[in-house]
Amino acid sequence: MISVTPKALSADASKLDLTKLTSEQTALDIKGLNLHYGKKQALQDITMSIPKGQVTAFIGPSGCGKSTLLRCINRMNDLVDGCHISGEINLHGKNIYGKHVDVASLRRKVGMVFQRPNPFPKSIYENVVYGLRIAGENNRRVLDDAVEKSLRSAALWNEVKDRLHESALGLSGGQQQRLVIARAVAIEPEVLLLDEPTSALDPISTLTIEELINDLKKQFTVVIVTHNMQQAARVSDQTAFMYMGDLIEYSDTNTLFTTPMKKQTEDYITGRYG
Amino acid sequence: MNTWFKSGSPWIWLSAGGVSISLISVLGLLWLIASKGLSYFWPSELYQFDMIDEQGNNSVVIGEIYDREQIPVSQLAHLDLKLAKDQEVLERLLVKTGNRELVSLDFRWILSTNITKTTTPKDLAVVERRTNGNFYGFIDSLVLDGQPVDIAKLPELLERVEQFQAEIEDLQKVDIGAINYQLESLRLQSKSLTLKGELTVDKQQEIDTETQALKDEYQTLEQQLMALRDKISRDHLIMRAMDGQLVTINFEHILQVNFNNQLGFFDKFTLFLSQIAAFIIDDPREANTEGGVFPAIFGTVLMVLLMTVIVSPFGVVAAIYLHEYAGKNALTRLLRIAVINLAGVPSIVYGVFGLGFFVYMVGGSLDQLFYPEALPSPTFGTPGVLWSAITLAILTLPVVIVSTEEGLSRIPSAMRHGSLALGATKAETLWRIILPIASPAIMTGIILAIARAAGEVAPLMLVGVVKMAPNLPLDGNFPFLHLDRKFMHLGFHIYDVGFQSPNVEAARPLVYATALLLVTIIVALNMTAVSIRNKLRERYKMLEH
Repeated sequence: MISVTPKALSADASKLDLTKLTSEQTALDIKGLNLHYGKKQALQDITMSIPKGQVTAFIGPSGCGKSTLLRCINRMNDLVDGCHISGEINLHGKNIYGKHVDVASLRRKVGMVFQRPNPFPKSIYENVVYGLRIAGENNRRVLDDAVEKSLRSAALWNEVKDRLHESALGLSGGQQQRLVIARAVAIEPEVLLLDEPTSALDPISTLTIEELINDLKKQFTVVIVTHNMQQAARVSDQTAFMYMGDLIEYSDTNTLFTTPMKKQTEDYITGRYG
Repeated sequence: MNTWFKSGSPWIWLSAGGVSISLISVLGLLWLIASKGLSYFWPSELYQFDMIDEQGNNSVVIGEIYDREQIPVSQLAHLDLKLAKDQEVLERLLVKTGNRELVSLDFRWILSTNITKTTTPKDLAVVERRTNGNFYGFIDSLVLDGQPVDIAKLPELLERVEQFQAEIEDLQKVDIGAINYQLESLRLQSKSLTLKGELTVDKQQEIDTETQALKDEYQTLEQQLMALRDKISRDHLIMRAMDGQLVTINFEHILQVNFNNQLGFFDKFTLFLSQIAAFIIDDPREANTEGGVFPAIFGTVLMVLLMTVIVSPFGVVAAIYLHEYAGKNALTRLLRIAVINLAGVPSIVYGVFGLGFFVYMVGGSLDQLFYPEALPSPTFGTPGVLWSAITLAILTLPVVIVSTEEGLSRIPSAMRHGSLALGATKAETLWRIILPIASPAIMTGIILAIARAAGEVAPLMLVGVVKMAPNLPLDGNFPFLHLDRKFMHLGFHIYDVGFQSPNVEAARPLVYATALLLVTIIVALNMTAVSIRNKLRERYKMLEH
């Protein structure tokens, strides 16, 4: 057992039984999800429920399918040629893979932050309001308010408030990643997907982002993919361990790291492979 | 030696040598056309050569030295020259003597052995004229309204003449030109009404009165013009040529009178600059061998700009489709290869295509649909600036497509994903993120297109360029931009002046000067595009991932 300090779980979270969530408690309900890249199966029959207003982490060795699963939630895998998906992901009871689903509006409800910061080559301000402009919002005051609010919730406001109209590319890597989070937050999604958000960052920036994730769950359901087990232990309420496209174990973080049920999980978190 | 090879130094030397050779050839080219071209405008010394020929006849030659040449004596054996025994080469001078009314050739070669005395008399004058080229000689007298006057009045008189000439030009080009244009459109209007069978007596009368009014106006202007011409032609300049003959030159024909031998360096420099300015802003004279090249500059720039306006949207749209929307299959690959190969088709082939398809098919149909009243004289069914621009746009299309596609494929997918993840559709992502980031690459394509198009002459000869266009494609008559008109082009002008003019020798410096101008204009167009691209690059520079 590695020496992680499990975060103090909130009273609510400890009571949650992940197999028997009520529909009010559920943000995402994944049922029998299979994913093939061409002939290769990348996800096998994933079934899990992700609770609302909490942080859920996906961990596992490289290539286990954790990022793929994350990308299924906002249908980013649609962009991959030869990708075939079966099964259901229900967002508030509606299957996002159902017919007549508008992918653009789905992605407005399920925001995403990528591994490497990818600010647009525009000003900080324009980066943050990008999603709003796409949604048709052009009222200056609304945009101004949204910029301040989002940058504050991404803990970036104080650093950039005097240079909102300068290029976003002048920011440091950590600031850029927070800007990208602010950009995702600005359109007020219901779920926020973070795909290894700190893997390209230095330890101090990583710490800032982790603190930020803790604040974000007050407003959003957060799903985070990380290859860093300490990080999962520090920030998440639930943790799912995946291996070779299978969901091996899924429980609250405390339990998973202290008393894993499966041998594979134990091996992984004790550092025997992965 | 072996270590020297291994160190890679030979390759560095080789590549550096390659760069040097390229640089030297470019600089050499610029130096050659600049020195030859600019020297055309420098007021040169006027010489008087006292000559004696083999038969012992004396003569005087007056003119500018254009060229010097060393020729071996053996080539001149037939001339029976008296030479020193050991002399092997002789110098021979090419002298521009002008005075076309006396001698039909502007130039003559003289042997330096025949010259007994060379002088540069201060009062030797060169008269630049509208017709018949330069006149070299001494001013004998000045006649104003039939009365001889003091020669000192010459500058004053020249200024007066210049004023009158400007008025005449204004009348001819602007006022009379506008009337002619209106008369023509009235004629077409009446014809079009006849064709439609709507020509009532009333309408015919209306048109007739208008025509009459215009004709009356024309008459008045014509009279004004005659009056002005009369005023000028009363004055004469009487010149004494090199053989002592007196020649009367009407002031109507005089552009400038210069005493080059009296000019100091600064005077010469001022004259030099004014000659360059005149070359740039004046119309050509005398079958393009004299005067300026303004219509050609204008035509070149207008055609290139039109071409840019046409090729950019088409090229970009085609590249976007190929790169973003077309399925990644054999057909797309084939299309891409076809596009790249289009760039290798000889330009004259595009000219033939433009003539056959655009001019005759499209232009001919346009004429039948929209300008039936002008037929059988074609409006768009004849070569013109629009067809030239479109033909060159097709010629440069592959360049724009290829660079745009390259730019699109360089954009990291993180940008697209970032935008898509925020709920943007593919089209919105393209419009708001991808195209701005790709804009420097698009500009690169446009720069290459401009560079290629501005230098193309061959296809233009089929689809719109002429030796002499009476009107610019842009003027004060509605609709101002006349895309159906033929135009002049610097590249074609070089060809025409250099190889088609009656006096190739005289035109050679003009060829260099025009070439220099063409290079300058292309560089200027390119520099503008490059600076726009650099601004865009600065704005949309990518992170170094």
